[in-house]
Amino acid sequence: MGKIHQVATTAELPVGAKMVINIGKRSIGLFNVNGAYHALPNLCPHQIGPLCEGNVSGTTDARAETGWKVEWVNEGEIVACPWHGIEYHIPTGRCLPFPEISIRTYKVWAEDDAVFIEL
Amino acid sequence: MSSKRQSLEEMLVVDVDVHLHEKPAEMAAYIDKPYRQSMEIAGSFQDDRYLALPGFAPGDTFYFPMYPGGGEAGRAVWGIQQMRDELDKIAIDIGILFPDHLLKLAVHPVKDYAAAIARAYNAWMVDRWCSREKGILGLIIAANQDPEDAAREIEKYAKEPTVVGVYLPTAGVQPLWGDRKYDPIFQAAQDADLPVLLHSVTVVHPVFPSQIQEYETALGQHSVSHLFNMMANMVRMVETGVPVRYPDLRVAFTEAGISWVPGMLHRLDKEYLELRRDIPMFKQRPSKHLEKYYYATQPIGEPENPQDIVDLIRLYNGFKTTMFASDWPHHDFDHPRAVYKLPWPSEEVRRGVMGENALEFFKIDRNGYRLNLKTKGGE
Repeated sequence: MGKIHQVATTAELPVGAKMVINIGKRSIGLFNVNGAYHALPNLCPHQIGPLCEGNVSGTTDARAETGWKVEWVNEGEIVACPWHGIEYHIPTGRCLPFPEISIRTYKVWAEDDAVFIEL
Repeated sequence: MSSKRQSLEEMLVVDVDVHLHEKPAEMAAYIDKPYRQSMEIAGSFQDDRYLALPGFAPGDTFYFPMYPGGGEAGRAVWGIQQMRDELDKIAIDIGILFPDHLLKLAVHPVKDYAAAIARAYNAWMVDRWCSREKGILGLIIAANQDPEDAAREIEKYAKEPTVVGVYLPTAGVQPLWGDRKYDPIFQAAQDADLPVLLHSVTVVHPVFPSQIQEYETALGQHSVSHLFNMMANMVRMVETGVPVRYPDLRVAFTEAGISWVPGMLHRLDKEYLELRRDIPMFKQRPSKHLEKYYYATQPIGEPENPQDIVDLIRLYNGFKTTMFASDWPHHDFDHPRAVYKLPWPSEEVRRGVMGENALEFFKIDRNGYRLNLKTKGGE
């Protein structure tokens, strides 16, 4: 069991919003993806860029089942590092271009109108 | 197989790039009217112009060397027995045929004409050149101008015992290989279980990347012509996801050496890191998807330290996907010993590069029998 911190109010983090907070030496990105709270280190392992300051959007996919037609998927679930555009899936920390890489995620939740994180 | 070093003569050597010389007078019997007369006219010329069919003399702006004393070797192979005899002299067991004149077919502007030439070449080559007994196997030409017709040709020759692949004319091709226009060719080749091989030539043509009039020497032109065409076409094939959309299609890049491969793959991987969204059919970095593609050695780089070549091949995991090619009888051919003698990490790798990797690529056995035909004549 890690240490629990109150990091925001729910009003500060509406659906689609994100914020970067500092706890001690750690910089962490908080995200509200379609009503679910997520948190990732604000650190892209590629060249140690400030990942969570990047844009949040969906992304592209293409599959054989749909004739390789490009689709727009995972709207609101993807953050792209502002340095080089490397994409991460916010709920899982999965790195899209490098499937062998995932970054850690933190446990985040809301109680009443406060948002908590466990480190 | 033992780890003892076989001599070059003992070792199976498959040469994935030798060039026959077309005889228009012979090919005339194989081409449809109204083009037959054109072929006959070309066949009547005393001098050997570059398959000088009316309307077909592309790339005559290529600079021949300005100074006498080198680079003038105008060798040509006019018949199968000459080819067999000459390959014997350089220790090659199995040779895979590319054309000479028709290396420039891609720039021909007339769809029907280009397709007719390709059909004529294919039929003539199978009749007059291909022989498993002589270790001479053929590649049919896919006319880029008419992908549907090229796909029909691939289907037609899919079960031909002496046809082992499809040559994609690459010099001056527009659009580049990989364009969706060519999907019927890739689909047909995958369905026929025949590999495709990109092969370029020096041609000056106003399409990317063949606008090489910039260069004032044959050295300048020839340094970039094959190389840039391989790179440009590989990138186009990546853009449209060919390695993903045709997962079982075997592809080889020829006559550009191998030194460019790791650099190109690093470049594609670096772009992918930032621009993955452009090619979402890829589920991992392009170099991973491209590991299954093959590369022909000629013209092999000859650095001061031969180990450099082995290291470059290691960088693209190419010990099983690199295949010896001589380019016989062209001026810049490599004798097999130039590749055989390299400091390979094992005898298995040496045998692989000199011949056994090509057997895998073409799905043939050591006697030239196709292994992907149900009726097999051999052992």
